[in-house]
Parts: sequence; structure tokens; C-alpha cells
Amino acid sequence: METFQPLRDVWLSFFYLYGVGGIIFFIGIRIIRKTGALNLKLKRHRFWYRVMIFGYFYFVAIHAFFIILGLNT
Amino acid sequence: METYHSIGTSTDWIIMGVYFIVIMLFGSYFGKYNRSTKDFFFGGRRFAWWLIAFSIVATGVGSHSFVKYSAKGFQHGLASSMTYINDWFFIPFFLFGWLPIIVYTQIRSIPEYFEKRFGTQARFLATVLLLFYMIGYIGIGFLTLGKAAMPMLPKSFMLFGHVIPITLMLVVIIIAVITGIYITFGGQTAVIFTDLLQGFVLLFAGFLLFFLGLDYIGGLGVFWHNLPVEFKMPLARFNQPPDFNFVGIFWQDAIAGSVGFMFMNMGLVMRFMATKSVDEGRKAATFNILFMLPLSAIVVGNAGWLGKAISAVHPGIISPHTSPDQIFVVVANVVSHPGVFGFIMAALTAALMSTVDTLINATSAIYINDIHRPVIDFIHKKHKVKENRRKTEKRELSAARISSVAVTILGVIAVLAFKNFPTVYEAHGYFHSTLTPPLVVAIFLGVFWKKVTPAVVITSFVVGVALMLLGANYPGVLIKPFAQGIKMQAHHPYVYIRAFYNLFVCSAVAVIVVYTTKYQITWANRIKKMPNRKNIIIGLYVLSTILFILVAFDLIHLVLSLISSVIMIIVIAIITTYYVDYDPIKQTEGLIIWSVHKAKESFKGGKINEAEGEKVTVNWKIKEGDDDLVNLSRNDLAKMKANPGDLVYLCDKRKWLGGLKSIHSRIGEPHDEDGVVYITDEHTKQGVFIKGKPLEAELEM
Repeated sequence: METFQPLRDVWLSFFYLYGVGGIIFFIGIRIIRKTGALNLKLKRHRFWYRVMIFGYFYFVAIHAFFIILGLNT
Repeated sequence: METYHSIGTSTDWIIMGVYFIVIMLFGSYFGKYNRSTKDFFFGGRRFAWWLIAFSIVATGVGSHSFVKYSAKGFQHGLASSMTYINDWFFIPFFLFGWLPIIVYTQIRSIPEYFEKRFGTQARFLATVLLLFYMIGYIGIGFLTLGKAAMPMLPKSFMLFGHVIPITLMLVVIIIAVITGIYITFGGQTAVIFTDLLQGFVLLFAGFLLFFLGLDYIGGLGVFWHNLPVEFKMPLARFNQPPDFNFVGIFWQDAIAGSVGFMFMNMGLVMRFMATKSVDEGRKAATFNILFMLPLSAIVVGNAGWLGKAISAVHPGIISPHTSPDQIFVVVANVVSHPGVFGFIMAALTAALMSTVDTLINATSAIYINDIHRPVIDFIHKKHKVKENRRKTEKRELSAARISSVAVTILGVIAVLAFKNFPTVYEAHGYFHSTLTPPLVVAIFLGVFWKKVTPAVVITSFVVGVALMLLGANYPGVLIKPFAQGIKMQAHHPYVYIRAFYNLFVCSAVAVIVVYTTKYQITWANRIKKMPNRKNIIIGLYVLSTILFILVAFDLIHLVLSLISSVIMIIVIAIITTYYVDYDPIKQTEGLIIWSVHKAKESFKGGKINEAEGEKVTVNWKIKEGDDDLVNLSRNDLAKMKANPGDLVYLCDKRKWLGGLKSIHSRIGEPHDEDGVVYITDEHTKQGVFIKGKPLEAELEM
């Protein structure tokens, strides 16, 4: 196996995960809004909308934090 | 590679024995809450989100076991956690698409959804594929259990003077017998409560092991320092090595696995359906993915990380060449004392059993709903037999128990298909990559694309499977373009990335059929007008069968197989359009995301009341009659913002019961006694309400 290079070996995986995964996620958000399944006029649905967006960036932050921590210690 | 035997002491075995007896008694106690097959399989749709969220921990952790993640943690470090932290991408589709649809349409199994949306033919094919998937999953569970138990057992034992070797299959059979016992007598409520207890124990045991391990090594700093940089990364290398790479696992787990887990794992789906409302199901799913899965990633993988750190400092204590599938047991034994080791092993095996018993319960539900009930209904109709509801329930409950035993036996047989993979992780990866794509594509497109017709689903099932088998026969030609730089292994080529190819071919077939629908209708109508239409259709049917056999069993050249696949797409789509009556309005109403509100209205049986009122505390009194209505006071209804005819949830006020003592009903005519609800005798039996204990009433919709 080739020697470890951060950009090629871990950041590429990171951007692929949240790039391809992000496209799927935001298409999902778009579909549920467009179809009316998520109705932002309802207080409860506004809560869920915020939770879903928060969740995406929460996982981005977790992975980014551990990559930076691993590379710098 | 070093393997171990007879790890542990007699104290450990005693503790494991006691733990299992307690768990089985605990599960059996909740058998009394099963009054029907609805209770047996779905727990009566009554539970609070937190109870389901914690009970899912044991199921999720069990299926993504200690054994396989510790193995990959030992070989590759923190990246073993990545499959636990990649499930968010499909959450919008699940929370606001699939979850409300399955709850409001009140489907009892995924094949039932296929029947409502696409007809009986699609239901039959979905049942076959789903049973393969579920039984395969049970097989993986048994294999993992066997591998976890092997290091603790001796190589052989004496029986009547004969030396009996302890083989993996012997261990699996014994475990299967134990697993089958309480699921057969408990049902879904037993599974939920057993899993709840095990979820807590599991988290405790996993963190206990982590802290004991850190203490053994000399602290967090020493542990972190002894891990190579690569081992500290939370994601694997992009496309190497072939047995553990990011991009392959992304397509196998984050895409096929996530959709498979959320949309077609009946064990998990049934758990969400056991929540008291859709919103509670959303809370359970969200809490589980945001918080419980990251914690579970540490719980299941830490033994491998600790093993790597210890082997770097003390290779004499833990050899760097230890068999990866045994590393969990080896590390647990090294860092803990006798007794504690027994407790950790009991928690591990019990978690795995939770997964397996949930799956057995779910597979049994599929059998009852999709095979047993339609067959018995057909026989009764033919012989004009009439059966009262109570007798039917009793017969089905008994059939559910017998089928649980049969499914357990098939699960043991399924182990044979997976036992030759180097690790459980790869066996599970291969399983997911191969068995999930056709159903994942069909369910997903069926729910989120209204243009999908029965011809689309049936053609993508049949031709998709044929092309998947073709890919398995020619991986170097067909899967390689999807491999994104992953090298092909000779024995198990493209274990993970084959999921990308399989998803692509199933989706491509579906898209082609969607965009040629009008031609299929034209041709089907033309054939219908022909005098020799029967012979033409039989001819097309025979042609598609022959082509499927030629492609699937690799009997012709690759180019001819690809041409045959294109012909199959045309022929099967036309046959399906000819045979299946499809009403695109009726068969999509409430069954696709575009009409979720219709499903909600049909569930309630009237206009939806979306008002958000407050919960009220009420004392219950018995009323005469057996109507399924409860009567609250006018003032209480005003507080709840509820009206007669709305759906209401009545629950014992004690929160810690998590909804165990509760019912769903409809609001009847109001009265003037504030703080009192009138319910029937049957309601008290269903809810197992206790005299004198107040209830909480909540508007459902």
C-alpha cells in the first residue's frame, strides 16, 4: 500500500462523502418541500426542517474535527 | 494468523448464564401485552420515542456488530466508525416520505406496499427478494454470534468417550436454539423491552471496556500516541486497500445500506411503527442517528483500536497477527478481570441476539402477511369457510410462532453462504452490495417518482437481477468502470463497490422503462386486439424466461448477454403492461410522497385537524357498550383543540412506562365532567390500565 498522503487519502474521502451525500440530502429536502410533505407553515415542520439541516453540518463538523485532530497530533 | 480458544474463567460463564436467564424472563413477562398479531408484530403502536430510540441501539449495534467493527478497528483504526456516521443523507426521504406513508397506509409488510402500489405480481417478487434479504441478514447475525463465542470455547469436548470437535456451525446451531426461545413466546413487545434493557447494558459495557482499556494502556494520551496517523483518521483511504476502502463502502453502506436499513429492514421499520405517532417515530430516528450511532461507533470499535495500541507497545500480550474477528474477545479478556469479562461478553452476545430476534420476528411477519394469510384466505374462499375474528387471531398467532422457528432454521443454513469470507465485515459488505439494490431501487423510485408503473418495477427486478449476476460473472469488464481505482481481488472481487454497479443497472432499467411507457401501452393494446394474442404472450413469456436463464447462468457470450438483456427489458415491460391492470391515480393515492396528506386523511377517515393543543390529565371510568370511542369533557376537548371524530392517544400518566399502558381511539360525543374520560372494558384490557392510575389524553390528528 502506498504511503499516507492526507489530501489524497482522507480529505478526498471527506469531500466525496459530503459532496455526493450532500447532493442526495439536498435533493431530498427539495423533494419533501416541493411535494408539500414538509409544510413550513406548520410550527412542528419548521422544527424538523432546522433539525435536518443542523444534522448535515453536525456530521460535517464531527468528521472535519477528527481529521484535523488526527493530522495535528 | 493467531486464533484463540478457552478464553475466560468459570466465573465468566456463570455471569453469562445468569444474564441470559434474566433477559429471557424479562422478555417473557411482556408476552402478556400481545392480544393480537398486531401486538405480536407491532407492539400495538403505542410507545414513546425515547423507548424506541434506546431499543434500536441494541438492534443497530447488534447488526453492525462488535466483532466486525473491532476487526476493522484493529486493521484500520478509527475509520471503522465511518459506517455509523453516514446515515444522514437519506433522512429527509425517510422522515417525511417513507415513515408517514407506512404508518398512515397501515401496511403490515413491505410486500403489502408493493401490492397496493404495483399489484400482486410485484408483491410476489418483492416477497421473494425480501425473504432472501431477511434470511441472509439472520445468517450474518448467527455467523457473528458464532465467531464471538468460538474464542471462549475449547477446541473439542468429550461425550460418551468420543471427542467432539467444536465447529463454527455447531456453535451457530446451539445459539440459534437459545435465540429462538423467547422470540417464539414473547413477540414484538418482548423484543422492544428486552432491547431497551440491552441497549443500556450495551452502552455501559462498551464504555466500560474502553475505560478499562485506556487505564490498562496508561491513559488517553498514551493510547492516542501509540496509534499511527492513518489509524486516527475517521474515514478510510479513498480507494485502497480492496478489503477496506472509502468509496466502495460509501456506495455499499451509505447509499445501498442506508436505504436498505431505513426503507426495507422490516425489523427497524416495525420498530418505528410501534411508536405512538409519526412525530414520535421521527424523534426516535433522529435521536438515534444524531447521538446514539456516534456513541455506538465508539462502543463497537474501541476494542480494535485498543488492540492496535496494545499490540504496538506489548506485542507479547496481544500479537499484531491476532485474527481480526477474535480481537474483541482477546482485548476484553486482557483488560478486564474475571467476571467483568463475562459481563462484557454477555452484553455482546445479547446485543447480537437482539438483532437476530428482531429480524426473525420481522421475517415471520412477512410470512404471515404475504404467504400464510393470502393462502388461507384463498382456501377459505374456495371452500366457503367462515371463521370468526378471535379464531383467526389465535390461528395466526400460532402460525407466527411456528414460522419464527422455521425462519431460525433457514437463518442457520444461510450461514453457509458467508462463512468463507476472511472477516464478518466483508461477508456483510458483500451481502448488502448484492441483495439490497433491486429492492432499494424499487421502493425508492416507487415512493418518490409517480411515473413508476408495475412494468417498471417488475422489469427492474428481473432484468436488474440478471445484470447483477452478469456483473458477478464479469467483474473485470462490467464492475471495473464503476470501481474508481479500486483494485480487483481474485477471490472476492469488488466486495463493496459492486453495490454501485448493481444500483446503477437496476436504476437504468427502471429509467428506460419509465421513458418508454407509452410504447409499452401501445404494443400491449395492439397485442390485445390480435386474434392469436394468447400464443403471442406465451411466446414472449417463454422467450424472456430463456433469455433470463442464458444471461443469469452465463451460458452465452457477454455481448450476446447484453443484447439479450435489452430484449428482456422490452419483452418483460410489454408482458407486464399486458397483464397488470394499473390505475395511476388510485394506485398512487397516499402511497407516494406527492400524496402523503391523502394517506393521512384516509388513516383518520376524514379531514385532518392539525391544531396543536395541550395534553390533559384524566381519570378513567368504564362505560357501557363496545364502540371504539372515548368520551372527554367539552373543556378538556377545548384545551386539546380536539373535536369529536378526531383521533386520540390515551396513555398511563407515568412517563417512565414509555407508553406501554396506552391505547389509540377516536373521540366520541363530549360530556361535562372535567378530568374524566369514559372508555370501554376492551380499552382497559388493550391498554392494561390500572384502576386509580390517571391517564394523559393527547390529540393525535
